[in-house]
Amino acid sequence: MTSYAAPLTTISPVTQERVIEPGHAWQDLGLRAAWRHRELLRVLVWRNISVRYRQMALGMLWIVLEPLALIGMLFVIFGMVLRLSSEGYPYPIFMFAGLVPFTFFNKAVIGISDSLRENMGLISKIYFPRILLPLSAAARDMFDIIVWLALLVALAWYFGMTPNVRMLLLPAFLLLPLLTAAAVGLWLSVLIVRFRDVRHLLTIAIQLLMYGSPILYSPSVVPPKLMTLYQLNPLYWAIEAFRWALLGRPMAIAPEFFVSLGTVVVLLIGGLIVFARYERFAVDVQ
Amino acid sequence: MSDVVLSVRGIGKCYRLPRREGGAGQLLAHFKEFLGVLADPEQDSFWALKDVSFDLKHGDILGILGKNGSGKSTLLKILSRVTTPTAGRAVVRGEIGSLLEVGTGFHPDLTGRQNVFLNGALLGMSKQEIRRKFDEIVDFAGVEQFIDMPVKRYSSGMYVRLAYAVASLLNTDILILDEVLAVGDAEFRKKSLDNMERVAKEGRTILFVSHNSAAVTSLCTKGLVLSHGKDVFQGSARDAVTHYLRLIQRVQTVSADQLSEAPGLVDLQRAVGFDGHRPRPTLTSVETCRMDGTPTRVFHTGEGMRIRIGYDLGRDPTPYFCVFFLDERGERVMTLYSYHNSELPQLRGRGVVDCVIPELRVFGEFSLMIDYGRNAAPRESIDCVPDATQVAIELGDYFGHAGLVANQGYVAQRSNWSVAVEPMKQVSRA
Repeated sequence: MTSYAAPLTTISPVTQERVIEPGHAWQDLGLRAAWRHRELLRVLVWRNISVRYRQMALGMLWIVLEPLALIGMLFVIFGMVLRLSSEGYPYPIFMFAGLVPFTFFNKAVIGISDSLRENMGLISKIYFPRILLPLSAAARDMFDIIVWLALLVALAWYFGMTPNVRMLLLPAFLLLPLLTAAAVGLWLSVLIVRFRDVRHLLTIAIQLLMYGSPILYSPSVVPPKLMTLYQLNPLYWAIEAFRWALLGRPMAIAPEFFVSLGTVVVLLIGGLIVFARYERFAVDVQ
Repeated sequence: MSDVVLSVRGIGKCYRLPRREGGAGQLLAHFKEFLGVLADPEQDSFWALKDVSFDLKHGDILGILGKNGSGKSTLLKILSRVTTPTAGRAVVRGEIGSLLEVGTGFHPDLTGRQNVFLNGALLGMSKQEIRRKFDEIVDFAGVEQFIDMPVKRYSSGMYVRLAYAVASLLNTDILILDEVLAVGDAEFRKKSLDNMERVAKEGRTILFVSHNSAAVTSLCTKGLVLSHGKDVFQGSARDAVTHYLRLIQRVQTVSADQLSEAPGLVDLQRAVGFDGHRPRPTLTSVETCRMDGTPTRVFHTGEGMRIRIGYDLGRDPTPYFCVFFLDERGERVMTLYSYHNSELPQLRGRGVVDCVIPELRVFGEFSLMIDYGRNAAPRESIDCVPDATQVAIELGDYFGHAGLVANQGYVAQRSNWSVAVEPMKQVSRA
């Protein structure tokens, strides 16, 4: 019997045999290998987080300063100057509730898409399950967004919305933007290694999506004819759920929700397969 | 089942490298790279490694030699699973650890301590394992005072030592090392070489790529020479080094028996240069003669040699000529420059220069490389013919009836011996 959970590098008396050969068949998704290498995943996440905030005079304070500056700016432009409707809710909190799930999607999709290209140096020299790279990129953004979430709850409290049980669901609602980011990012990550152009297209697409989601304005301004299309955006549902939990704003689940969720799941599974199949070519195209 | 721990069979790697012809061809080339159906399997592919097979047993240390681009790194990358092969199959029994570069994943903004844990984790060590060996690592690298400082403030030597120290503690059954000895100062290189030797004695199987032929000879038990992706030699480490040196120097020594019939005069007009190129062919012939002018290829130690180099110069009026003597391992034994003890007059057109060695002091078979260049600052080689001719220099009766055996050197120096008449003062006892 081989010992259970033996450390990776000890010389085991029972030698395992591994075959290296051209991979023709569709291999497994590498999730089991990722679990075996969870220690490395932990180290990579820690590296991503500490590298992002090191070398900054205010360090970790930026996690708080960045959203505050953004809310301030957007509030002045869209809330005070342009006076967009927030259905009677305080504009800063109405807008921020939409901004949190969107920002999470934004950061995570860029992080996941760039994860292979950013780590070419590692990929070309060391073997480890490559799926750890998008995973660790997403984990870094998860760390950031939890601070944003805490800030959101604090701000809501300041505007008179006492914390309640519904707010406990907020982290769960972040799952939707995360899965969406992974569903798109995994496909893009293998493409970006070869075609850098995709990176620019992604930035433009995210900009479009920002205005195509009810972040700065209320969805009531969307023409009813376009509503079906509008609701196919999974971020629409994440934002609605956030506002429901935070502001007690009513929301109705439409069939479009299931269509968009289904699309995300299909894209995600496809993305995992494509990633498993094509990540190994990343090292060959440089 | 035998004790073979690594069995490689016909392994190869093909890269799709579509030819690019401007405009639409450029775009098409992009797609050919991804969609195999579009690519022409003959034209658009490049085999970086082809059909390499070998077996390694427990405790074998294989030295892999080859020029840049010969496929060494590709082979190591395939075996360490960084890239997948296109053909063939390798069976690995045991845990494999690889070190293709020192300090992979080191981040300049992180401290030495943090990088040790990061790099260790990337190499597959567990946290407890690194913690246990942490002091040993820091001690080996000699960076105690700086361990909590970002590594970007390290000197390059400190950086490399720390990186190597982490990696040297990798203790997998099979270890893959690429050019790792080429780092650090002389003292550290010695330290890491000692460390390698210790690892080797532990009976680990090691694959080792290096340009350092001395390291390969002293550390490895087997050798493999790659050239243009193909396995051109397999055997003992020493033989592989000899083969490799011959390959890079284009050396071809021929024994005295074969040379005795060979003509003294060699035409150089069709001879090949390094990498097959001779942009400005100037050297036309070379002739080796005895002092009396008889052309020959076989000489005797103690005699003289006259090397006559034919040239067809352009307009450069201040040339130098040079003859290199290379031994059978491709090492340069002698270098004779025309500006060493004499000065050539200004030359023009066709002609012959004479290089006279009054008394030969070496013996063995040699390959002669002839070089011609401009003898003005900056001194510059213009035409060089490696392996222009070969000569055999026999020791003969230079030492009377005695000779020299294998490990007694290859320089012949006569000496006179006698019994001292007076005892030396310094050594005499009070």
